[in-house]
Amino acid sequence: MSTDELLHLKDVKKYFGLRGAPWRKAGAVKAVDGVNFVVRRGETVGLVGESGSGKSTLARVATRLLDPTAGTVEIGGQDVTRVRGRKLRPVRRKIQMVFQDPQASLNPRQSVGTILTTPFRAQGIRPTRAQLVELLRQVGLSEEHLERYPHEFSGGQRQRIGIARALAVKPDLLVCDEPVSALDVSVQAQVLNLLADLRDDLGLSYVLVAHDLAVVRQVANRLAVMYLGTIVEEGPAAEVYSAPAHPYTRALLSAVPVPEPGAKRDRIVLTGDVPTPIDPPSGCPFRTRCYKAEDVCATVRPVLEPVAGGEHRVACYFPESPADLSSPPLSERTP
Amino acid sequence: MPDQTANNQGATHYNGSPRPVLEVADLHVTFKTEGGLVPAVSGIDFSVAPGKTLAIVGESGSGKSVSSAAVMGLLPPNAEVTGEVLLDGRELIGLSSEELRRIRGNDIALVFQDALSALNPYYSVGWQVAEAYRLHHDVSKKEALKRAVRMLDLVGIPSAEQRAKAYPHEFSGGMRQRVVIAMALVNDPKVLIADEPTTALDVTVQAQIMRLLEDVQAEFGTALVLISHDLGVVAEVADDVLVMYAGRAAERGSVKDLFHRAAHPYSLGLLGAMPRVDLPPRPRLATIPGSPPSPGSITTGCPFQPRCAYAHLVGERCITERPELTPRPGEGYHEAACHLGRRPEVML
Repeated sequence: MSTDELLHLKDVKKYFGLRGAPWRKAGAVKAVDGVNFVVRRGETVGLVGESGSGKSTLARVATRLLDPTAGTVEIGGQDVTRVRGRKLRPVRRKIQMVFQDPQASLNPRQSVGTILTTPFRAQGIRPTRAQLVELLRQVGLSEEHLERYPHEFSGGQRQRIGIARALAVKPDLLVCDEPVSALDVSVQAQVLNLLADLRDDLGLSYVLVAHDLAVVRQVANRLAVMYLGTIVEEGPAAEVYSAPAHPYTRALLSAVPVPEPGAKRDRIVLTGDVPTPIDPPSGCPFRTRCYKAEDVCATVRPVLEPVAGGEHRVACYFPESPADLSSPPLSERTP
Repeated sequence: MPDQTANNQGATHYNGSPRPVLEVADLHVTFKTEGGLVPAVSGIDFSVAPGKTLAIVGESGSGKSVSSAAVMGLLPPNAEVTGEVLLDGRELIGLSSEELRRIRGNDIALVFQDALSALNPYYSVGWQVAEAYRLHHDVSKKEALKRAVRMLDLVGIPSAEQRAKAYPHEFSGGMRQRVVIAMALVNDPKVLIADEPTTALDVTVQAQIMRLLEDVQAEFGTALVLISHDLGVVAEVADDVLVMYAGRAAERGSVKDLFHRAAHPYSLGLLGAMPRVDLPPRPRLATIPGSPPSPGSITTGCPFQPRCAYAHLVGERCITERPELTPRPGEGYHEAACHLGRRPEVML
C-alpha cells in the first residue's frame, strides 16, 4: 500500500432496500454496484454521470457518510470500512466534504464564526480568532464576515464558507459534490478558480462530483464516468475528453452544447432514458441505449480494461478507437 | 428602439426574418411589496418572428422569467405591468382575465422548467393534454383524446395510445417534459415560451428535448422564446439573443453578434466565465467579481458598473448616467447599453 493513495475504494456496493408493498415486490436500488476507485495525492478526479448514476452515493460512501453494503473503504492507507462514531474523527481530518447547496448545508442560526469553529471542536481544538480569519482569507473572505449569518451572503459567498469549513481540519482530500451547480455562471467561475488556487497553495486533492462535463474539464486531471452504479470509463482527463473510448462517454460529450454558433458537431442523440437501478439490464448496463450493442453485451458485464496499454481504461466489448472518432457515428439515431 | 416596433410595413425585420408575431415594447414590471416598490423589469423590448428563436439570457434576478410571465399575464396581482405586448398585432396588456384565458394556451403557450409541478398527479397525461385542447375547441372528449394521443406521439412518447392512460409519476423527467410540450402545442400556438425547459434534465435528455423543439418549429412555424442561462444551448438554437442584467437589456443582436462580437462587458464576462467541454482547460476562467444585484438595489448609472472591469476607462459617467441601447457593428441589428463606445478587449 503506497502512502500516496489518499482514497481507495475496493469493489464497493451500496444498495438501498425497498420495502415490499403488497403491489410491489421487495428489492433494492443498486445505487453503486461494484466500484473500484483510487485517488492519489495531487490528483483532481472528476466523477461524472447523469442523475441516478450513483456518483453522489459513491461520494458519500467515500467520506464515510454512508456505510457500504459490500466492499472496503481505505482512507490514507487505513481500512476504515468498519470504523464508526468517535473513532471516525481522526479519519475525518484526512477527508472532508463540500456540499452542493450551501443554503442547506449551513446552519442559519449560527454565525460564520460558530460554523467555522465546529470542525475544530470536533477534533478537540479551540481555534484562535486568527485561525478563523486565516480560513476566511484562504477562501477570499475577510475578518468582517466572521460575525455575520449565512442569510447575509450571496450563493457564491456561502459556498466559500462551506469550503472554509471543510478546510478547517487541514484535510488532504476534499470531496466536492456538485460544488458549483447551484451558482450563476459568473460566480461559478470564481469558485472554480478558488478550488484551483487552493490546490496549488495547499496541495489539496479533490474528488469533484458533477454532472456538468465542461466544469469538470476545467479542473480535473483524471476522469471517471459512471453509468447505473458502475464506472464505465476512467483515465487521464485530457485523454478521455479528446478520445472517449466508451460509447456512453462519447454520446455524453457530444450532447454537451458548446457556446459556438453554427459549430458543426457529430451529435449522438441517445434514445430513451437511463434504466431503473432496481432492475438494471443484464450484462453491460448501457447496452439498452447503445448504438453499438450486440448479443454479447447482454451476457456478462464488461470489466474495465486498459485502452492501448495506458492508464485509460474502459468497460466495453466494442470500445471506440481514435479512428472511429474521426468519422461520424454509425448512424445518428433520433427518438 | 421604438422605430423597430412601429416600422411594420417593412417586409423584413432583423436578419431578414418575416414580420414578428410577438412584439414587446418598453415592458416594465414592478412588484408592490411591504418593503416598497421593487422594479423587476425596467423597460425591455424584444420581438420574435414565426419559425424563429429568440433567447433571453441572464443570471438569477435578471428579470428574464418575470418578463415571460408578464407576457403571459401570469403575474400575481401585486405586480404592475406597463408597456406593450402585441401578439399578432393585438395588445395583451390590459385584457380581462377572461379574454386572456382565451389567448393563453391557444395562441401563446408556456413550458416551465419543472414538468412535475406543471402536471396534475391525479389525472392521466392523455386526459390533461385533451383538457388543454377542449378548453379552446368545442369537441367531444373522445375527439380531444384522439388529438392528445396524436400530440403525445408527435413529441416522441413511445406507444402513445397506451401511455396516454398513464399518470405523471409513471414517466421519467424527460418524458414528462415531452408531455408538457405536447400540452403546450396541442392548440397549435403561434408563440411558445420555454422557461429553462431543459435545466432540470440530464444532458443526453436535454439534447433530445432541444431537437424536439427544433423539429416542432420547423414543422409548425412556431415562434420560440427560449429563456436560459446556458449559453451553450443558446448558441445552438437561437437566431437572436437578448442579454438581460438587473431587469434591463444589456445587449441584443443576432446569435453571431453575441458570440463573436460581444459589445457589452457583461456578455463578454459571461462568455469568458463559461468552462468549455470542447476545448482544453484554460489556466484560469475569466471571472466577473461580485454577484448579480438583488432587484430594487440599483439607483443611478449603469447597473453593471460595480462589477465592470472597464468602468474605470470611462469614469464618472458609468456611475451617474444610465447607458441606453445604442447600435454596434454587427449583422444589421446589434445594440449594447454601455458607455464604452468600442468593443471591450478581453481582460483577465
